[in-house]
Amino acid sequence: MEQELDNLRTLAKEQLAAVTNSNQLEDFRIRFLGRKGQFSSIMKDLGQVPKEDKPRLGQMANSVKKEIEALYGEKQQALAPVAGGMVGDSDEIDLTLPGRRPQTGKLHPVTQIMNEVCSIFESLGFSVAEGPDVEHDHYNFEALNIPAHHPARDMHDTFYVSDSILLRTHTSPMQARIMEKQQPPLRVIAPGKVYRCDSDITHTPMFHQVEGFLVDRDVSFADLKGVLTIFTQKMFEKDLDLRFRPSFFPFTEPSAEVDIACVICDGAGCRVCKRTGWLEILGAGMIDPEVFKMVGYNPEVYSGFAFGLGIERIAMLKYGIDDIRLYYENDLRFLSQF
Amino acid sequence: MKFTLDWLKEYIDTGDLSPEALADHLTMLGLEVDSVTKLFPELQPLKTAKVLTVETHPNADNLHICEVAVGDDTFSIVCGAPNVREGLVTAIALVGTVMPDGMKIKASKVRGVKSTGMLCSERELGLGDSHTGIMELPSDTEHGQPLLATLGLDDLLVEVDLTPNRPDCASVIGVAREVAGILRKPLTLPVEKATIDHRNSEFSVDVENCELCPRYAARLIRNVTIGPSPWWIQKRLLSIGLRPINNVVDITNLVMMEYGQPLHAFDFDTLNGKQILVRNPRTNEKMFTTLDGVERELDSDMLMICDGKGPVAVAGVMGGLNSEVSDITTNILLESACFNEVSIRKTARKLKLASEASYRFERGVDPGGCIIAMERAISLFCEVAGGEAVAGGVDLYGGIRPLNSQTLRISRTASLLGIDLDYDKIANVLQSIGIRCKPKDDDTLWVNPPTFRVDIEREADLVEEVARLIGYNNIPTSLPLVSLSYPEQDPKRHMRAKASTLLADIGFSEAINYSFVTEKHLSMMHLAEDDSRREMLQLLNPLSEEQSVMRTMLLPGLLENLKRNINFQQTDVKLFEIGKVFTPQGDNEQPIEKERLTCILSGKRAGEASSLYASDDRVDIFDAKGSCELLLETLRLYGVELDDLVKFRSPNENEAEVFSDPSQCLILDSDKGPLGQLARLQPETAKEFGIKQEVFFIDLDFEIISSLHGAAKSFHSLPVFPAVKRDIALLVPIAVKAGDMLATIHSSKEKFIEHCEIFDVYQGKPLDTGIKSVAISVTYRSPTKTLTEKNVNKSHTRLINLLTSKFNGSLREG
Repeated sequence: MEQELDNLRTLAKEQLAAVTNSNQLEDFRIRFLGRKGQFSSIMKDLGQVPKEDKPRLGQMANSVKKEIEALYGEKQQALAPVAGGMVGDSDEIDLTLPGRRPQTGKLHPVTQIMNEVCSIFESLGFSVAEGPDVEHDHYNFEALNIPAHHPARDMHDTFYVSDSILLRTHTSPMQARIMEKQQPPLRVIAPGKVYRCDSDITHTPMFHQVEGFLVDRDVSFADLKGVLTIFTQKMFEKDLDLRFRPSFFPFTEPSAEVDIACVICDGAGCRVCKRTGWLEILGAGMIDPEVFKMVGYNPEVYSGFAFGLGIERIAMLKYGIDDIRLYYENDLRFLSQF
Repeated sequence: MKFTLDWLKEYIDTGDLSPEALADHLTMLGLEVDSVTKLFPELQPLKTAKVLTVETHPNADNLHICEVAVGDDTFSIVCGAPNVREGLVTAIALVGTVMPDGMKIKASKVRGVKSTGMLCSERELGLGDSHTGIMELPSDTEHGQPLLATLGLDDLLVEVDLTPNRPDCASVIGVAREVAGILRKPLTLPVEKATIDHRNSEFSVDVENCELCPRYAARLIRNVTIGPSPWWIQKRLLSIGLRPINNVVDITNLVMMEYGQPLHAFDFDTLNGKQILVRNPRTNEKMFTTLDGVERELDSDMLMICDGKGPVAVAGVMGGLNSEVSDITTNILLESACFNEVSIRKTARKLKLASEASYRFERGVDPGGCIIAMERAISLFCEVAGGEAVAGGVDLYGGIRPLNSQTLRISRTASLLGIDLDYDKIANVLQSIGIRCKPKDDDTLWVNPPTFRVDIEREADLVEEVARLIGYNNIPTSLPLVSLSYPEQDPKRHMRAKASTLLADIGFSEAINYSFVTEKHLSMMHLAEDDSRREMLQLLNPLSEEQSVMRTMLLPGLLENLKRNINFQQTDVKLFEIGKVFTPQGDNEQPIEKERLTCILSGKRAGEASSLYASDDRVDIFDAKGSCELLLETLRLYGVELDDLVKFRSPNENEAEVFSDPSQCLILDSDKGPLGQLARLQPETAKEFGIKQEVFFIDLDFEIISSLHGAAKSFHSLPVFPAVKRDIALLVPIAVKAGDMLATIHSSKEKFIEHCEIFDVYQGKPLDTGIKSVAISVTYRSPTKTLTEKNVNKSHTRLINLLTSKFNGSLREG
């Protein structure tokens, strides 16, 4: 018995030394340490030894087993760094196995689109300014030629925190805030969160906008068309058809809504564009003289244009997102797609 | 604003203009067409049918078995209507038809008798309230014809999304005027001009404040017979979704839709003192019941129409129950007025009562159009309801405005629009929609907009009209000529971009949560009663309790995101958010808005990476610490110089957040104040959010981060001489901090030490309890020579002695 254990130890050491890959190692484990392995068969014989020898032989068997196990463990470790045990010297390497990739996260799609929008305008020399989310009625409405009790306030479902303080309903207050402090020429965009008390499949009570404006001498509606044409074509990366149609905003005159040829159906008419072939993507116009007067600019000297666009809407069109509630659930299955 | 094509064609001949082309023209004129749809599409399959024979049902007295003819076919139908009779022409839904209520008509047996279709009542068709019997069509109506065509409802409904500046187009004639402008064709109007004869002895009208009521006209019509309107009027109202009521009410509604002038008919015999007084309520007039039967609370600013006793209508919003036209009315006082926009809007808001009338008055009704619309209605009362108009009436036009005469500069218009213009071009387009022009001087036009264009008040408004009529798409595109300038970068934006990119690169996805949250977060986070974050800005009109206060921390939102992800089997989550928190100030003051950066880490370290390679190890506090260190290092606030701008330390008593596990929490300090902390979230807090797994978080003041100036990058020459590495394994009491040991090495005077790091920490057998082994690798290098064994040994021995004596330790043997 003692002799058998000794032999086993020597044999195991020799064989283990010869192991060079994980398959061989596994064979070794089965042969020596497995349930039907050599060690187990010796241990079975332990039952037949005389009673007085049992403790001594038992101890010895244990220490041999431990020794082999320790050596096995070392070998396993030695082989491990080679592709988790998948690749050894003499193995054929299976390159259909997945690559080892570092874990990365994703920026929110709104941030990605926002960055894209800002960088297009920054490239055109616009500076970027941010303003408060919680705004005075004055900047959100009055300074933009929307007095109290004007029906245009119906276009804004406003969250109020007091009589005169509200959550901004658009990023346009930044027009007034910046013009109040700076003199033309101005080229500014103002990105940020805006809020409307409206919630359904197509509206979330918070969303993101970018406001932009340019004020100088002799700025024309044709210039507005030119700048926004560049923007939409860069944003959607193709020579999209674009149309400007009359609309109404109290702080611009003339006001326009800008449609692009539907990016889903290429203008043929589909559910997304309500079969018109056109998608509304931004509102714009020449800054109203009243707005200039309120910040002390002379409308006879300066003219300018302003525009505002919704980031979620652009992301929806660009990425084909069909449910805007997904934006704020922060589900990794959503975020990881962009 | 809704109208049908057939209705529009009453006023303008659209020739061969297709509905699509018409819709496109309107849209490009700023009257955005929302939809063009068939009227009553669900009634398309219905047919006209003629009842040939009627027999009583053998098994039911109140049922009839009818043979009906539908074109060449005859059908046997069981009908329970009392008015079914031989020769009646009615509407039939044949087998297979789906009714407006969703019911599908099937062939069936009614009490043992086969029935193959259904004869329909108006209510079943959604065309009226009558359910007393089946529909009765004129007896000469041909059977087997499509019902819609027979009823004149084979028409297209156009819906226009009207902007608030164009109340004139809240009428079919208003839209027709725009179409006439495009087509350059004349309008055909039922009444073009009307005057009022001021001799009147039957009633009196008085207006207390003509600012609130610039014009009030009224006339009396006697001997009307109240009854249902003729089909042509009902059809118009039904087609745009209005419910026919009776001939008098229907006529006032029809004319409002036609001309955009809201009208109101009073039952003259209910008016006390035969007088009308337009005024604010008296102090004792507190309640008033409108004709919808609702009792409403008045306030002193509301404008009321009153008789000799008290209010009979809320001006411009809704009539009163006390003066409503009823079945027994015979004499009518018809009001056609113009009210102040703001006053009507305030009243409608306060009463939470919006009507077709208030919609138009709030936006501005043509004061010049009152009499024409009144005349139109009166002629219909006489024609349709048998009324007799009493000669003479009242027209109080106290708010008459001077002729709206303006000047428009050609050069100004051209430069604002960026196109070439001359007098003829401008006058041509303006005159097409009835804006009169004449030359003033070489560069200026005199322009007179019609009274219904209440939106044209300034030169800018006229410039817009010119642009709109020329067509925005006919204006060229150009680019502004601007002087070159460099757009200044906002440092905070810059930092945000850098931090976000780094965090995404190391496995964190970006979350964006609503700025408004539930107040419950405060207790879920176990915040102390005096925690300043309990002061939250409340919304006055939140959509729900869940979104009723402005957030004071980002962590709760991220924990909710984590919970949601776990629910959807995404248990390995790393998220960050950079967003504002809001600290309220005084009433009517803006809150302080500050940005924070918060990250959460939970689940497996390897995330969703292939499980082939990844271990199952879960994130721990050192993942949070490491991410934070890397972030600050990237922003060059930490680990870039010996003197870091940001320092990590253990929390003092009560410094850890209540929701932080104090034994796994680090505080971050900066020159500009406390920067935040990172910690293991207390399991009780996680439980509040329904999270059972371990969560770690980093929460930093982003305002401070972006105000710190990161260390400039600077180059250090690459070492020329080789380094020598020596390891030390020290046995020290467990309480000794490894960081202190490193700090001791750094601050030792051994000049060749280049770098040192911990490479193993062990406690447990065979070490004694209370003792741990810390293994440190020290790198020695000289910038000027190759170090010898002797140099290093000397230093290293001194270092070991320093460490063993300072930390009460000993060298670990073997």
